[in-house]
Amino acid sequence: MRGLLQLTIILFGFLSVTSCKSDDPEVVEQTFDTLKITVQPVFGNETLYLDSTYQTPEGYDIQFVDIKFYFQDVRNGLNLFKDASLFDYRVRGTNLSECNGTKENFSNLQANLGVGANVNHNDPVGGFDPNSWLYISNANDMHWDWNPGYIFVKVEAKVDTIQDGNALFDHNVVFHVGMDENLKTLSFTDINWASTGSGYTFPLKLDMLHFLDTGSSSIDLKTEFTSHTLAGQEVLSAKVMDNFKESLTPF
Amino acid sequence: MKYLLLLFIVIGVALSCKKDKVEHIPTPYELEIPSHFPVMQIPEDNPMTVEGVALGRKLFYEKKLSGDNSMSCAACHAPSSAFSDPNQFSEGIDGTQGTRNSMALVNVGWNNFFFWDGRAKTLEEQILIPVEDPIEMHDDWSNVMATLKADVTYKNMFFQAFNTTDIDSTHAAKAIAQFIRTMISGSSKYDVMYKNENNITLSAAEQIIFSTITPEEDAGYDLFKSLNGADCFHCHNGPLMQVQKFSNNGLDASFTDLGRGGVTGSANDMGKFKVPTLRNIEFSGPFMHDGRFNTLDEVIEHYSSGIQTSSTIDPLIEYASQGGVQLDAFEKNLIKQFLLTLTDETFINNPDFQEPQ
Repeated sequence: MRGLLQLTIILFGFLSVTSCKSDDPEVVEQTFDTLKITVQPVFGNETLYLDSTYQTPEGYDIQFVDIKFYFQDVRNGLNLFKDASLFDYRVRGTNLSECNGTKENFSNLQANLGVGANVNHNDPVGGFDPNSWLYISNANDMHWDWNPGYIFVKVEAKVDTIQDGNALFDHNVVFHVGMDENLKTLSFTDINWASTGSGYTFPLKLDMLHFLDTGSSSIDLKTEFTSHTLAGQEVLSAKVMDNFKESLTPF
Repeated sequence: MKYLLLLFIVIGVALSCKKDKVEHIPTPYELEIPSHFPVMQIPEDNPMTVEGVALGRKLFYEKKLSGDNSMSCAACHAPSSAFSDPNQFSEGIDGTQGTRNSMALVNVGWNNFFFWDGRAKTLEEQILIPVEDPIEMHDDWSNVMATLKADVTYKNMFFQAFNTTDIDSTHAAKAIAQFIRTMISGSSKYDVMYKNENNITLSAAEQIIFSTITPEEDAGYDLFKSLNGADCFHCHNGPLMQVQKFSNNGLDASFTDLGRGGVTGSANDMGKFKVPTLRNIEFSGPFMHDGRFNTLDEVIEHYSSGIQTSSTIDPLIEYASQGGVQLDAFEKNLIKQFLLTLTDETFINNPDFQEPQ
């Protein structure tokens, strides 16, 4: 009888301990992937290489020298992908933006083509972290100190508009477009992140033939070859931004 | 008593012979970076120390770095010439002349590449080259370091800076790089104009300088930045007065010096050279990579009417097809007046940059 009592006490104690065990879920560390957004410049169906010769819709030979643009405040709602990214085809190739995150959080993306007015006029030294692409050392020639703010889109090229048989490319094209009123918003939905093994990529293409030849908004480089977003250049500046936005699409 | 006296003498002699122990207690060097300048990126493997800077300064003026002990870094980077060479081409120890003008050493710590053709990616890498260049200092780093190792003062200074007596050329290059990174110019009249333009508060001393800006200097600055004027600012702007790039600025229609193209081999880089700063340009002539222009007037005339087009000309030379921006005499003078505001006397005469006594 006494043995039974002892056994009962032990059993009761055991049950008490096990019944009090909390159902704590196992802590699973969230893993992040490297998510990259790339941009491949093309000219129609061809891959575009800087300093190589292509032909404009008007039949002019053209060589692109520089293509740069700001892709800023990249996010999906409250999920921030990157504060700012700078595309610089000559220096950084097809890289546009990168973050460590989960692709499910970025099935849609919105971003500024340019730099939002809330930060566009910040001091490029004191207003940003030195690691930001908006910091002056990283912005380099994409910041205007004479008219404080950033160049949103920069396209520089040389064109041979004088069809005399001499391919001198003696006609310079300079589009440096900024200013708050020219800011554009880019929006990508239902993004299909492609696995790269070590992460995921969202590839974009930038069609510079489409940039020049966008239906009623085409740019004839013989007469429309310079914009520094000055007074009197509003129409061309707006056209550059509109066409550039339309030319940047998922691959 | 006699033994006691003898003991005192022995102790006295022993103490007098005791060497002062050299210790490695590095003192972090705080760079005096002007408030309107960006952060300077310091290599992780070469942190700035007071001891390293002192050693670098001594080495910068050390003639034992050359094959015949006649030439130091300062021979081609003289303080009185904004740390450049007043001669078109520098002459090496063997009397051989180079083919490029010595670059001014100012705010070099912010540069992303070095030499006119950018063949060195770091300052430390750049510093190693002139010592062994046969048309410059024409020495051998192993010889140089053997000489420095035999010198007790240097031996101690290297130890104080790098905590080793097993020194080599990399230690020397690191020390000189540290010294050069201290050579910051940010106290010119232009800096006051820049700060005012960017709504940065001026100190009382800067307010006084601001009040001395002449109408010509002010108009020259406007013209410098004007796209329909001199159009200089595309390549020369910001606190550093330069952008980090290579450019063909229309000096020649064909190239005898390939510049960046000689490094990359790319046809698209032919005739391109590093965009230099304009700071202290009053003293840093002659100008251009080959020192072809002796005066600022010649430089201004080049951009006004002397542009030569070629396959790699920078598209930002927007009036190339007209030969340049076509300034009149009045405008040329305004540009010159503005360029002179880039002179920083406190930099040129800074005792910390002169040869140590």
